[in-house]
Amino acid sequence: MSKPYTLDELLAIAVAREINDYENVVLGVGVPMTAGALAKALFAPHATLMMESGIVDIRPLLSLNNIADAHSCRGFSFSTDLFSAFTVTYRGFVDVCFLGVGQVDKYGNLNTTAIGDYEKPTIRLPGSGGAADFIAYSKRTVLTMRGGTFVNKLDYFTSPGYLEGGDSRDKTGLFPKGSGPSALISTKGIFRFDPVTKEIYLAQIHPGVKLEAVKKDIPWDLKVAADLSETQRPTDNEIDFIRNFAPELSAGRELAVELRDACIKEKANLRSEKIIGGAQARRMK
Amino acid sequence: MGEINGKVMSAKEAVEKFVHDDDELVIGNYTVGSCAELVYEITRQGKKGFTLYSQSGIFDVEVLVAGGCVHRLVTTYVMRSGGKKGGSAVERSLNAGTLEIEDYTNFEYNARLVAGMHGFSFLPVLEGVMVTDIFRKRGFMGENKFRVIKCPYTGKDIVTVPAATPDVCIIHVQRADIYGNAQYWGAMGSVASAALSSKKIIVSCEEIVDHEIIESSPHLTIIPAYRVNAVIEVPWGAHPTEVLGYYNVDNFMYNGLFSSAAATADGLAAWMDEWVYSCPDRAAYIDHYIRKFGSAALDELRAKPFYSAPANYGSAFTSHWNQDGKERSMGVTLPQLETLLKERGKTYE
Repeated sequence: MSKPYTLDELLAIAVAREINDYENVVLGVGVPMTAGALAKALFAPHATLMMESGIVDIRPLLSLNNIADAHSCRGFSFSTDLFSAFTVTYRGFVDVCFLGVGQVDKYGNLNTTAIGDYEKPTIRLPGSGGAADFIAYSKRTVLTMRGGTFVNKLDYFTSPGYLEGGDSRDKTGLFPKGSGPSALISTKGIFRFDPVTKEIYLAQIHPGVKLEAVKKDIPWDLKVAADLSETQRPTDNEIDFIRNFAPELSAGRELAVELRDACIKEKANLRSEKIIGGAQARRMK
Repeated sequence: MGEINGKVMSAKEAVEKFVHDDDELVIGNYTVGSCAELVYEITRQGKKGFTLYSQSGIFDVEVLVAGGCVHRLVTTYVMRSGGKKGGSAVERSLNAGTLEIEDYTNFEYNARLVAGMHGFSFLPVLEGVMVTDIFRKRGFMGENKFRVIKCPYTGKDIVTVPAATPDVCIIHVQRADIYGNAQYWGAMGSVASAALSSKKIIVSCEEIVDHEIIESSPHLTIIPAYRVNAVIEVPWGAHPTEVLGYYNVDNFMYNGLFSSAAATADGLAAWMDEWVYSCPDRAAYIDHYIRKFGSAALDELRAKPFYSAPANYGSAFTSHWNQDGKERSMGVTLPQLETLLKERGKTYE
């Protein structure tokens, strides 16, 4: 029996398996960064990992704080700029990129800008960042979903998936033929897109997850692969890698925040005692 | 990055494999440190029909043109030897009707490569050129040499040039790793855009270095490994031109032997017989040079070091876990974290 795993770990490991050796990979922070590092360390040693800030061919040593975090790598091979990172994608040199999901519709179109009214948002999400450009020109895009929602209609259309489905994306002539989202990976399963209709369907379900639990998140009648299989169980190697590399991801948001708050309070107490102690010592003189 | 990936080869292999007749070929270097060995190897292999892009044509363009490799030349500047009485291979070929030329300014020429490098189909350039024959006189590119559009913001006439995306770039740099990460420093010219606009890139270098050296100095890398098709270690690979940090220009060979020879067709043919065709590779060329002029003639060109200060790429720590085994933000050890996850019911068997 192998190690117990968390759903966040399973998600990151499933994302990592979307990376093939020798591919050029654009990563974002969080799950994709960890997935990229895992892939490079365990099964895609020749993959070139890059970030839109212009750091190319990184070997991350610990999970990165942001997309420009060269502190977390032991050097890298090529220092370029953001403009060139995007035109490299535009020219077709990026095999796969990874985007987080705020809202997603059945054709993989994304909202990462605002929930509710754009002018007076219920939740103001980060915005496009690189998302709209990367999903436009990367050969494949893998969507990762931890807190996002499936909706019939996006509140704001940030990034183009398969538009209205079918050949509507290719027909615009704006995007490389065949590009677009190739998978959506959540903490419940792995979704893919029908080659003809481009509608999202459930391709694999994570171990222990009930189909009903997947369907209840989705406001339309979700299509399910006839040969629906179970997601491959993470190996001990993969789990250990993630726990060492990105312990906060393993902890999950709730526990990580709880532990971090406790840790900060403890440090603050220690530090203020020292300061107060010092002040008292000076007064005593 | 991983094991040997088949990119390290000889100039002969690289040219056989990646340079073809009728290619659009760009010389990546600009004015200094030209990729002499790659130019000579292409000439030895008798490739022909190129549309040659050269920002600033020096001996490299002369050798390729005299070698009969070039059908069309896109450039901003060509050399000519021997004053009024002299001449150049370019001039002789234009007169013989075996070479067509398209003249640009330095900026416009480079803009074509920058457009190609970024995947744009054209780029705006500096409109003053419209009053010149550079704009009016159209060679083989015809209407597509320049086109004028209206700026959608100001309504002004904007001169544009089309993107250039050469089939293959040949380039000489100071150092590279076996994967193709190419490091170059000094006058940046149009070196990076020439390489990155091209479909294939052949890199020759003074030395192949460990990947760790590249990782400690990524700001010096101008071509990332995944773009490079061939890496060739060629010491003295730019001789008679100079490579910053390795050797100076050899004026005895360049301004002396080469330039006086290039003034006439016969002279240049004899020089090329001796220095290009009779030397199968760079090692043979250097041997021939040393046998003829002595090794002191080369030694006096060698650079004395003036090292750049290393840039510090270090950080405070390289692991989330501190020396007590505690996670730096959460303050727990890995076994503690695993216990907590289990207690909270976050794990699945």
